[in-house]
Amino acid sequence: MTNRNHATGRPISRREMLGLCKGGFGSLAFVSLFGALPISCSKKAESKLFSQIPGNIPHYAPKAKNVIFLYMDGGVSQVDSFDPKPRLEKENGEDPNKKFKVDDTQFGNVGKILKSPWKFKNYGECGMPVSELFPHIATCVDDIALVRSMVSDFPEHTNANYFLHTGIGIQGRPSMGAWVTYGLGSENDNLPGYVVLDGGLIPPGGVDNFNSGFLPASHQASILRAGKVPLANINPLEETPGLQNQKLDFIKQIDNSLVGKLKNPDAVESAISNYELAYRMQSSVPELTDFRGETKATKDLYGMNSDDPHTQSYGAQCLLARRLVERGVRFVELTCPQVKADRWDQHSDLKDGHERNAHAVDQPIAGLLKDLKSRGLFEETLVIWTGEFGRTPFAQGTNGRDHNPSAGSMWMAGAGIKGGVIYGKTDDYGYRVIENKVTVHDIHATMLHLLGVNHEKLRFHFGGRDIRLTDVHGNVIKGILS
Amino acid sequence: MKVSKVFNQINNSYLKLLIWVFFLSILSASFHQCTQDYSSTLPKKVDFNFHVKPILVQKCFLCHGPDPSSREGDLRLDTFEGATALLEEGRKAIDPGHPGKSEVVKRINYDDPNLVMPPPESNLELSQYEIDILTKWIDQGAEWKPHWSFIPPKITEPEKFNNSVNEIDDYIEEKIVSKKLNNAPTAGKNSLIRRVSYLLTGLPPTPKKLNNYLADSSANAYEKMVDHYLNDEAFGERWARHWMDITRYAETKGHEFDYSISGAWQYRDYLIRAFNEDVPYDQLVKEQIAGDLLDTVRWNPENGMNESQLGTIFYTLGEGKHSPVDIKKEEVDRIDNIIDVTTKAFQGLTVSCAKCHDHKFDPVPTSDYYSLYGIFESTRISPQPTNVTYHQQKDIDAISALKDSIKIFLASKWENQKFPLSSELKQMSNEVSESSDFEILGDFRGANLDGWKSDGLAFGKRTTLGNPVFGKNSQLTNLSTGKASSKTFGPGIFGALRSPDFIIEKDFIGVKALGKKAIVRIIIDNFQLIQDPIYGGLTKKVEADEWTDLKFNVAAWKGHKAYVEIIPGQYNKHVYQLPKEAFVEAKYIIAFNGDWPQVPTNESFEKPVEMNTALENWAQNSASPEEIRAINQLIATNQFRGNYHQINTYSNKINQLQGQMQDTSFFEGITDGFAINSKIFIRGSHNELSKNVVPRGFLSGIFSKNQFRSEGSGRMELANAIVDPENPLTSRVMVNRIWHYLFGRGLVETVDNFGLQGKLPSHPELLDFLALKFQNEGYSIKQMIKYMVMSQTFRRAVEVPDGNKSNDPDNLYLANFPIRRLESEAIRDALLMVAGNLDETMYGAPVPVYLTPFMQGRGRPYRSGPMDGNGRRSIYLEVRRNFLQPMMLTFDRPIPFSTFGKRNVTNVPAQSLILMNDPFVEAQAGLLAQEIVNEKNLDIDEKIDVIYLRTLSRNAKSEEKEQAKVFIQSLAKNAEIPEQELLENTAIWKAYCHSIFNLKEFIYLI
Repeated sequence: MTNRNHATGRPISRREMLGLCKGGFGSLAFVSLFGALPISCSKKAESKLFSQIPGNIPHYAPKAKNVIFLYMDGGVSQVDSFDPKPRLEKENGEDPNKKFKVDDTQFGNVGKILKSPWKFKNYGECGMPVSELFPHIATCVDDIALVRSMVSDFPEHTNANYFLHTGIGIQGRPSMGAWVTYGLGSENDNLPGYVVLDGGLIPPGGVDNFNSGFLPASHQASILRAGKVPLANINPLEETPGLQNQKLDFIKQIDNSLVGKLKNPDAVESAISNYELAYRMQSSVPELTDFRGETKATKDLYGMNSDDPHTQSYGAQCLLARRLVERGVRFVELTCPQVKADRWDQHSDLKDGHERNAHAVDQPIAGLLKDLKSRGLFEETLVIWTGEFGRTPFAQGTNGRDHNPSAGSMWMAGAGIKGGVIYGKTDDYGYRVIENKVTVHDIHATMLHLLGVNHEKLRFHFGGRDIRLTDVHGNVIKGILS
Repeated sequence: MKVSKVFNQINNSYLKLLIWVFFLSILSASFHQCTQDYSSTLPKKVDFNFHVKPILVQKCFLCHGPDPSSREGDLRLDTFEGATALLEEGRKAIDPGHPGKSEVVKRINYDDPNLVMPPPESNLELSQYEIDILTKWIDQGAEWKPHWSFIPPKITEPEKFNNSVNEIDDYIEEKIVSKKLNNAPTAGKNSLIRRVSYLLTGLPPTPKKLNNYLADSSANAYEKMVDHYLNDEAFGERWARHWMDITRYAETKGHEFDYSISGAWQYRDYLIRAFNEDVPYDQLVKEQIAGDLLDTVRWNPENGMNESQLGTIFYTLGEGKHSPVDIKKEEVDRIDNIIDVTTKAFQGLTVSCAKCHDHKFDPVPTSDYYSLYGIFESTRISPQPTNVTYHQQKDIDAISALKDSIKIFLASKWENQKFPLSSELKQMSNEVSESSDFEILGDFRGANLDGWKSDGLAFGKRTTLGNPVFGKNSQLTNLSTGKASSKTFGPGIFGALRSPDFIIEKDFIGVKALGKKAIVRIIIDNFQLIQDPIYGGLTKKVEADEWTDLKFNVAAWKGHKAYVEIIPGQYNKHVYQLPKEAFVEAKYIIAFNGDWPQVPTNESFEKPVEMNTALENWAQNSASPEEIRAINQLIATNQFRGNYHQINTYSNKINQLQGQMQDTSFFEGITDGFAINSKIFIRGSHNELSKNVVPRGFLSGIFSKNQFRSEGSGRMELANAIVDPENPLTSRVMVNRIWHYLFGRGLVETVDNFGLQGKLPSHPELLDFLALKFQNEGYSIKQMIKYMVMSQTFRRAVEVPDGNKSNDPDNLYLANFPIRRLESEAIRDALLMVAGNLDETMYGAPVPVYLTPFMQGRGRPYRSGPMDGNGRRSIYLEVRRNFLQPMMLTFDRPIPFSTFGKRNVTNVPAQSLILMNDPFVEAQAGLLAQEIVNEKNLDIDEKIDVIYLRTLSRNAKSEEKEQAKVFIQSLAKNAEIPEQELLENTAIWKAYCHSIFNLKEFIYLI
């Protein structure tokens, strides 16, 4: 085997791969076409052919099977949510330039030091302070590891979004969800391994935040939306259900004779089996979005009975996220609902905008954490809550806050995470990190680590070099691991 | 393979362990065999490039390669000198001819994990075959060679074979024989025409063309068919799209609001025309890199348009962001993308890997990256008029000549008169103010443009100083004072006046200007998307009849590189427009602190003006400002007498010519700035620069001629270095691309990477042969395509001959033609064509993208385009970076951010879902069904045949007809449609046509 064409290193055929994986993993169910063939399988099959990807996946025993990524698009203000700064109250209205060096900002409209409009209170056994914005999440703090020292390389939305999602601040790189399914595949044959639940707001940079970049297209996110058509082209157009079946039977009949004539070409055979999968998705996706089996208590837990339509809709998305991880979907990202004040990007009217956004997501997120716990899914699901950057402790204009890539708060909970922990520290103003800086690469490294993947070994050869989600950076945040 | 199968069937893990131990012991036994006794599977003569280097690159170079920063033990194996240098222990890593004395051989054979190479922690290990190769190579003298693709191609004559059509078949047959493979027979005519039609034009053959070809029994029927598709205009549409993958073609800039790249589609049309006209490849390379700098412009023969310059849109197809907080980084990222795409596209090299450190594998030091960086940093972005024609240039020249004639005429009339002594002329006082803290950046009160670049035609080559100004009845009123003016040749003509680069050191920049619908911009670090919130103040409108002071506050950007741009016309959402009445004039540009300073006159008062000399100078366009002022005093006091009616002829002619010119259509192009040699960014950081600059140049590690000295960017030299016949990469890379597009896989599979990390060619001699042939025959792409398509190798059937699967499982040696799926564009275009819905209109502004509910986010266009793109071919559908067409993406069109010479071919359920459930596909099935139903004189068999001919380019076989009839009848039965109405029932036929669209044969080239 090692002597075979090392110059060209031919990829192994699907048939051979399936055959090999069957023995190697004992279960074909692990091999889903959505995640295509996970490296964990291909590695076993033919290590020399994938020599650019050293090591076996999982590299070590995984803590998490799935990830739910709660994306707080626009950038939540840390000093108004999880990082209280009494000094802002004291120096409210003073000139920040006299206090510290002010970096260039996105709007270049630096106002005065601005105290938080919200009060903080300590919660849980750990006594973690949380502001009035998140009364529900506050009840879960003993399960949450809070990071107060997140930084980004970019102060602009689009770059920061690409950076957070793909590890590089430009368009075209594979998203972290794509990396995860590339490395681990999916555990569900009938659903995609990487799903984005579009709550209403696609982040700046567009759906390319969720793309597979140079990884095979099979790793790109499937975007689900609320409504009659949850996934593009998922509903048959035929007027009667039997008609599509008849067509598919006919198609298969003709296709099979082609396969016979060509003596079983791999490519054509794979394309045929794709139809079976697509067909199954047509029923598995509607089943997924059918909440009739959920109790009222569950729906209430998620805030689906709220007077706020945005709480309702985000609650439904969170419930859907639980149903997805229940079904073995690897990576689920939720985007924000479109509240009246746009995303968390309050360049003005901080109070109104942050309150609307917080109200929409607070109860559903707490509901999700509690529901995962009660169902035993919490121990195998990693929940990540973060924006692309934090906000400035001084005002933009009079009552807004500008982007701040030098400090922000994010949290993780669930599989392998130590609850009730506060990690990292910002200065007295919450402007810059002064202790235990956490980069986007560190978040990625930690996420992969909990999935059993060494981020330095998950690689793909493109453009002349082996590329990683974490580029050449990233350290696992040991301080928040259980 | 067998071993692992057996192994996997054994479930008992203890047994597994035992078996492993057994195999390992066999393997380790072989380690100790005598190294001189080489196995017969080893090549007779071990070649450094083809046998040894792949091992070194994969297993050794990470620590012993060209990058000094990661080098271990001070040992490098990438050079002869490094590998054969005396080591500390007195031995050599490699002692040519003496494997026994070579430390390398010793270390790779060690069992001790502390000593063996590669070390276990690297996760790398050598196979026995690899160990044998290295040992035999050292035994044979350890000859180093430069990387194969850096050695000039040379001809190795192939053995002639009986069934060869041309040399390709000889080279291919050589390997077929040596690998003991059986050739597939020639494909049937139906397959051949479908293959040629799709690969040359991206469309299926029409039933009519198919029948013509089937009926043509002449000996050259195939060649005639090939020629037909080569000359079909659809050819350009197919091959332009290939090149657009390579140049990351898009029509918007992405980022937050997805702003348009103005006129990007002109580049698409330029490519289509160029491929159809078979513009030589070397010319295409030069036009894309330096189309604005060519001595000989390629004028469009039909409309006289400048084609060459359109090629430069190549540079502006990348991403762009408004309001970057770090403006320098935006430039750095943009240039990085240009370096990446330029080197991959034309050279198959990944130079951008050397941005932060020396290339880990290729001989590209970081300094080479920054020598290219300087070239692109000296290149400026500029709107360019599309409709600059050969005639326009002529008209401008004519106007200049007429104006000169007027001056000469008047000067000759006046010279014979008597003048007052110049001392009698009124002297102006010299009002120099001492105080001001300012500096002049540009002064147009003299005759020349003070070193500024005049781009386009509007400003001409000099100021207005001394131009005669006529009043009513062609009465000469005065001579113009000095100023830069965009209406020297009339309004509505494009031009831009740009300063040399300077570093911002003062708080303000001031521009003395007047004009209409014009702007002045301060371009910092080449940043173009000027707007609020941060950068809005860097552009100012010029809307004034009188001289006005435009004051820019640039204090925030002190230390940055900048230039001033004066331009008639305006930007609307970053798209440049030039209204007919727009013009701008400027006197001077200053940088200053505090208040606007008193700027002194530029006239000299040292000696009195001597009038005859003044007139003489004036006639030769070299008069000084004070001379012009002196002449003007005489004109004002009516001291020149004479009849000037003769000049009416000139001025009428000028007016007539001026009225003919107007620029209305623009694209985002480039223009040369002033030479900048860049410093090296330490570890890629633009905030940490090296002390010294690196001269602009091209890949000193690979090519010898490499330092560029031009006053402009150096792009012309870059283009010449790439098309230099001595360049070993250019032709190889391009013929390999062509081969890839025709055969589905390049002779070098990594089409964009010919460096050390790229794959080795499967047929190196053939690749060299083709590269030299391409070069020697004038870089004709069409000729090369035809040559490949004519080969017997291309014409083989797709069925794999018996016995080949084990010897060549991937069909590397092409005993049969590879089966391949059609590309996204070909699938969509075929759907339109077979449904009779294809609009073959060529060229023009793109059809707006169809927006599904899943395509959301900032920058979303207000209106969606039509679902079927108005039936236009996919190449004409809009490519918005943030709203890429789902069908194109799903069938693997690459995301446009870098060079993709080779598309992924994936297999995902979303593809099946599109063909099954997308309303567009269903609609085309409906249209085809309607056409079939309308053919009232056809019976059911004939209808089925028409559908097969259109979609699969063949007649249905009898069993297929039977299956179809059973299917159709059961559909009819379920829908309760009586037998006799079946032929007219569109719904039934639609269901059938939709099914045919879902056949694999429809989307595969069989």
